[in-house]
Amino acid sequence: MSSERRYTPTHEWIEPASSPGAMKVGITDFAQKEITDVVFVELPKIGKKVEKGGEVAIIESVKAAFSIYAPLGGEVVAVNDKIESDPGLVNEDPYGKGWLFELKVADPTLLTELPDEGAYQKLLLSGGGGH
Amino acid sequence: MPLPLATEHLRHGARMTDFHGYELPLSFTSILEEARGVREAAGLFDISHMGHFLVRGPGARSAVNALVTSDLEAVPFGKSLYGILPDENGGTVDDLIAAAQDQNTVHIIVNAGTREGDYAFIRERLAPSLSLEDLSSGQVALALQGPRSQEIVRLLGEGFETMARREVRHPVSEDLPLWVSRTGYTGEDGWEFFGPASLVSKYYRLLSDEGPAHGLVQAGLGARDLLRLEMGYPLYGQELSRERTPFDAGLDFAVNLKKKSFTAREQVLASKADPDRERLAGFVLLERGIPRTHCPVFDAETGRRVGEVTSGGHSPRVGGGFGLAYLASPFWQEFQNGREAEVEIHGKRHRARMHPRPFVGATRKNPPA
Repeated sequence: MSSERRYTPTHEWIEPASSPGAMKVGITDFAQKEITDVVFVELPKIGKKVEKGGEVAIIESVKAAFSIYAPLGGEVVAVNDKIESDPGLVNEDPYGKGWLFELKVADPTLLTELPDEGAYQKLLLSGGGGH
Repeated sequence: MPLPLATEHLRHGARMTDFHGYELPLSFTSILEEARGVREAAGLFDISHMGHFLVRGPGARSAVNALVTSDLEAVPFGKSLYGILPDENGGTVDDLIAAAQDQNTVHIIVNAGTREGDYAFIRERLAPSLSLEDLSSGQVALALQGPRSQEIVRLLGEGFETMARREVRHPVSEDLPLWVSRTGYTGEDGWEFFGPASLVSKYYRLLSDEGPAHGLVQAGLGARDLLRLEMGYPLYGQELSRERTPFDAGLDFAVNLKKKSFTAREQVLASKADPDRERLAGFVLLERGIPRTHCPVFDAETGRRVGEVTSGGHSPRVGGGFGLAYLASPFWQEFQNGREAEVEIHGKRHRARMHPRPFVGATRKNPPA
């Protein structure tokens, strides 16, 4: 588990990406299990500006459509094209190859205010969170 | 409400979901994998939420027959039959499976969400000399479905593999007060078992333990819904309701026109002749998207709203998004003739064209009788 990775109550994760100032976003293992078979993902356009909590992407699974919200405010600087042709990656490797997009976060210091692994696990145990 | 097999499902890694107040497995591994497993080999479903009624007494068969659109008296004893239970206006109270054992004994399998209403509806219309028992509570029901079902059902060692399509056995023997039927709702060959939890749970464990060597997978409601939709079969509450007749839903085969009388026969038949009614159509999307229940449907040429999706999904076998929708007249006919529609999903319109039902062919259409 990445120590820098943070989570949202709506089951996204966010962590610093390789390029400076960019942060990678995906959905948690809990979320991919709830969503079930991902059939496709409607990714945002590069350059899209989003507010924290704003809808950025839609994941369509066999079961239903799920909105994906921005964990922090910023601008979309990259998207994971690989999941367009192989959406199952979101189920198989939600923290790795199944990442969704990268955000250039307006205020990176806000990252540490989001729940860490321990806090997120507690949220799951209490049955909290939701989409 | 948890059902008797709940702990077994959790042991198999099920993700549970609520269905009309019952906790049932949504999926064990992946909905698509499970659906594929059923089409290619076989799947085991817990269908304990389904209702099971027993009607007994003098003339039970003709009394039940008076309530349904298909003709129970035209099929031999020990054979099951799909039918519609209409209300006095010709609307659909439920769709069901009925099987008469003899003149005086009829089993009826009904949907979970309509079970209580069905019971009251049927009870009110039966003579007091007939008994109506709801056997559902505490029962376990299983569906074994798929082209390898016959090979797998042999594992139970009861000779079920020799049953003909739609043949029913009840009770199997004095020690086995089970209702077993060679039926299902996936389009594949298969068997359904209804009976006391102690007995059917044994079958469940035996099939779960020894079935996988024959390709058997555990399958949940997600796969069940996808499989029935691939066949274009209706789900009560979506394609069928008190507002819809069997003809509206395209279930013409479920109405026996030769039958002289059943509840609201005139109204049901009148709907067949009504040119203004909404009718169900199968469609496939021509663009990437997954239609869902309640998505609005538009005439692609005029932009006018012409209907609504009742069930939708995504199937690799169908080749993308597909579903069923009620469409207004006269658009329904134009759609049949090749005119395109548009289905609105997340505010965006997706082109769609008519697709005949079933959307896919079952693996084996004519199992040996």
